[in-house]
Amino acid sequence: MKKILTLLSLVLIMGCYQDDDLVTLYPDQEVPQSLQIKDLIGIKLENTIVTDRVAMNVKLPLDGKYRIKIRHGMTNELISQEMITAGEGDNLLKVYVASLEKSGYVIQLTDEFHNILGNQSFVVN
Amino acid sequence: MKKILLLLISVFFTLNSFGQSSISYSPVNTVTKVGDTLIMKFQYYKVDGAELTLAQFDFEYNNKLLSYISHQSIAPTGASFARNNWTGYKFNPKADTSEDDMDVQYTWWKDEAGNNSYSTSANWSVERTTIQTSAAYVDGNEFVKYSFKVKDKFGSGYDNYNDIIKVNWANYQESDGTQIQTTKNPSTQSLSGIEGGNAGAFVINLKTANSVKTDYSYTIKNSAGESVATGDFDESGQASISGLENNVTYTAEANLKEDATYLDEVVTVSDLALVFAEAIGAGSGPSGGSTTFDYFIQDIMGDVVGSDNGVDFQDSYEILAYLQGVTSGNSNLITQDGQTEDYSGIESTYGAVTNNTVTFAKSFTPIDSDTSSKTIDLAHGLRGDVNFSHSWEPSVSSGEKATSAQTSSFRISSAAGSKYSQTETANIDLISEINDDGRVVFSINSEIEDMVGSQFNIVYDPNILSLENVIFDTGNEMTNFSNVIEAGYIRVGSFDQNVSSTVKAGTPYQLIFVPVEDISNASGLISFRVKEGVKADGTQINFIIQ
Repeated sequence: MKKILTLLSLVLIMGCYQDDDLVTLYPDQEVPQSLQIKDLIGIKLENTIVTDRVAMNVKLPLDGKYRIKIRHGMTNELISQEMITAGEGDNLLKVYVASLEKSGYVIQLTDEFHNILGNQSFVVN
Repeated sequence: MKKILLLLISVFFTLNSFGQSSISYSPVNTVTKVGDTLIMKFQYYKVDGAELTLAQFDFEYNNKLLSYISHQSIAPTGASFARNNWTGYKFNPKADTSEDDMDVQYTWWKDEAGNNSYSTSANWSVERTTIQTSAAYVDGNEFVKYSFKVKDKFGSGYDNYNDIIKVNWANYQESDGTQIQTTKNPSTQSLSGIEGGNAGAFVINLKTANSVKTDYSYTIKNSAGESVATGDFDESGQASISGLENNVTYTAEANLKEDATYLDEVVTVSDLALVFAEAIGAGSGPSGGSTTFDYFIQDIMGDVVGSDNGVDFQDSYEILAYLQGVTSGNSNLITQDGQTEDYSGIESTYGAVTNNTVTFAKSFTPIDSDTSSKTIDLAHGLRGDVNFSHSWEPSVSSGEKATSAQTSSFRISSAAGSKYSQTETANIDLISEINDDGRVVFSINSEIEDMVGSQFNIVYDPNILSLENVIFDTGNEMTNFSNVIEAGYIRVGSFDQNVSSTVKAGTPYQLIFVPVEDISNASGLISFRVKEGVKADGTQINFIIQ
């Protein structure tokens, strides 16, 4: 009886879980040391000087929608912006810089409503 | 004895914990006169035992007194090195903190200041150096050497060479991202005992709205039309010329190089709106009449077909065709990728009207006894740029159209200064997202109600994204355009030729891309350059993206 109840509970819990818009990125992938973030929330690039593309870790407090913004390193003007739907914890993504001008930038993680959760400076060389 | 030893050890550790790494910057050589080359070294000092693997620092120098020549990386073998430069900016340190506290100032720039970290300031240039290495930096290692030419302080607005270089912030990190506390030494760098200057050198100051002054060259000709001096302007827009003779009349002209990367951003929908409004108004020209322009020079700049030194519908449709990417039968003079049509002249008379003709006087005569004759301001403009986004706006009163339709209440209100430098701003949202089909959708979302035209120059990585479709939802009256300028660069926008209908609010533009390789996200794949709108009265709307 106990086993049946446990099984039913599990089925019920799984049935209630909404995964319509949620994309957990690389769920089983281990976070390499160069991308580990000590804090509970943040954004980190594998390298600061980038030429074509670079691995990025986005560590999130909750499942949901977030913005990844690239700002000019001098004017702070927004250059590029992406909306991602991702899961709690580490999410290994990429930043593609081949079409960005050679310059200094800041990459920024915000929630859907533009509240800043993390920043990192980088240079396209 | 034990107590004394304990005390000493505790004092040692206390002192050590308060020590900080530092960035030191100092001259390598001695400079004594104008024209000398100053070599500055930037160096790491390690006090706290930290293992530095990422060094990034930012310094500013006075570009009226120093001119950048070159830099030399001293990064260790295998390290990555990058140098960036921006002219016309000055750092604003965090209030109520030590300007020498480099990691505090870095955090201020990166996390706290937002748009307030730097101000525009024509006299200053900012340099940023980044070095990333796998092996930790050793105490005393140099990062980089910079070479500067010492400029004449005469006419610069400065009495001395004090505080001409200053490190703004430093980002020192260990390999795991730990921030290293950092200070700087000294607080600022000054030069003393500089001699020479004002000894016959002739100076040209370039006047343009374009911030990239080093893309311009000058040519000095004698009365026979022979070139006697040529060269490029420095980052501050100055050129120092020697060898000119006193009491001889020369002419000077400036030219923008035709391979500048931003020429496609000079003539936009804002210029189109002004030219259309002028064509509708008709009757423009030096003789006056009904006009929407504020200066006579705009008749020249707007005559992109080059037919009559005045603006008509042929010119407006030529600019519209250019923005749409349609080839007309005309060989137009619009400033665009690979093509410039330059105008230049002495600033004080640039665009003046003499005998019913717009003039660009170029002559000058150095006189030994008159130091003011040893300097000229040379203004520069580009054909098609009627809103002066990359051109100098005339200051001479005879160049203004007194009967102009300075009917625009907005322009009248700004008559005390530049008529075109003031624009309106409005919020807009430009964002990319991967949809359920795996396509990258770039959406332009706007709630602005009164735009008769808009333009977005969008850059994407053509090696990863293939443009599949552009979806317009701008309303029924607008003429829409999407024009692939080159692989990975598209111009999208709308314009109502009657200057009455407006771009529909909502999501007026969507670009659909198909990835040509597997991607999980699209950060950096799509970026935006020109993003502007225009109202019926010609007022430019600069979009702010939060």
